[in-house]
Amino acid sequence: MASGYRGSRRGQTPLASIAMTDESLEDFKNSFSYGTRTDLSFKFLKKLSAADAGEFLRQLLEEVGASLDHGDITRLHDLVYEWQVRGYMPARDAPTQWSYEDGPLTNLGKPLADCTVGLLTSSGHFHAADDPAPFGVVGMTQAEAIERIGEFLREPPELSVIPSDTAARELRVRHGGYDIRGAEADFNVALPRDALTALAKAGRIGGVADEMYSFVGATSQGRLRRDALPGWIERLQQNAIDVLLLVPV
Amino acid sequence: MCHVSVGHVARGVEAAGIPTVSVFVRAFRHVAQQMALPRTVITRHPMGRPLGAPGDAATHRRVVTAALDLVEAATAPGALSELEAPYRTRGAATGS
Repeated sequence: MASGYRGSRRGQTPLASIAMTDESLEDFKNSFSYGTRTDLSFKFLKKLSAADAGEFLRQLLEEVGASLDHGDITRLHDLVYEWQVRGYMPARDAPTQWSYEDGPLTNLGKPLADCTVGLLTSSGHFHAADDPAPFGVVGMTQAEAIERIGEFLREPPELSVIPSDTAARELRVRHGGYDIRGAEADFNVALPRDALTALAKAGRIGGVADEMYSFVGATSQGRLRRDALPGWIERLQQNAIDVLLLVPV
Repeated sequence: MCHVSVGHVARGVEAAGIPTVSVFVRAFRHVAQQMALPRTVITRHPMGRPLGAPGDAATHRRVVTAALDLVEAATAPGALSELEAPYRTRGAATGS
């Protein structure tokens, strides 16, 4: 695995040089979220209290010990999942910036078997020949995207249009907000093109749209809604997409 | 923030007349609910792998099928379908 894909930052402080004896558990758990130990699968540790983060680590070690004998690591995955859920759970009295009383609903105009289905994800995938080049940087590394996450959050999103017949080897992914290793190993974990194609062949849907869409979801909400979205909707309509499957990452 | 972004896309596209369905991991279910998204499938998967593990085509297909089923079944906004399957089946070596 190339460096940087776990989210480790280029030029980060080697662990040996950190004065471990002076570091509090609070600092340690926070260091996984855009700090000296950045690991985007575990940035939720920052959202836990120090006591809860300590309990998570205790349970993790307990399960590692148990797995030495039974060899089944699925319990480790369950633990990570459960604590991610806990970490992102909003506090009861937390203010909610993006909250709506009700939402729109458009009914299907025809049977799904006659519908063209489109895919749009916030995974940060793009075609190798069409790098969105954030801030003018072509070939930006994942490590740099992590470093510049604050800038991504202020800028408008760029929609990457990906032909639906793109080969896996032609796809790239870059996103400073999540652990991209899964999406890099198999784009279908966030852009389920193959499943949709199989369901089209089986007759469950009429077909897959000719192009798929991805953007870096860490972006300015105001500029997404005001500047980008109207053009995106127009594009979906021009491509006669009847149903849109959305995947946030 | 990704989930809020996609929430805004879902609301905008739906309001423009195209039915949408979103696949959220459980950790961000509250975002789908707070944003009153039209239709959402919730998976018990870790962040970054909403459809399932790399190479687990059977799970990817189950999740997409559940999403399509929800497009047909939903009669009011805020429709939620929570899938119970864990990320990996105990003892099974799936994935890449």
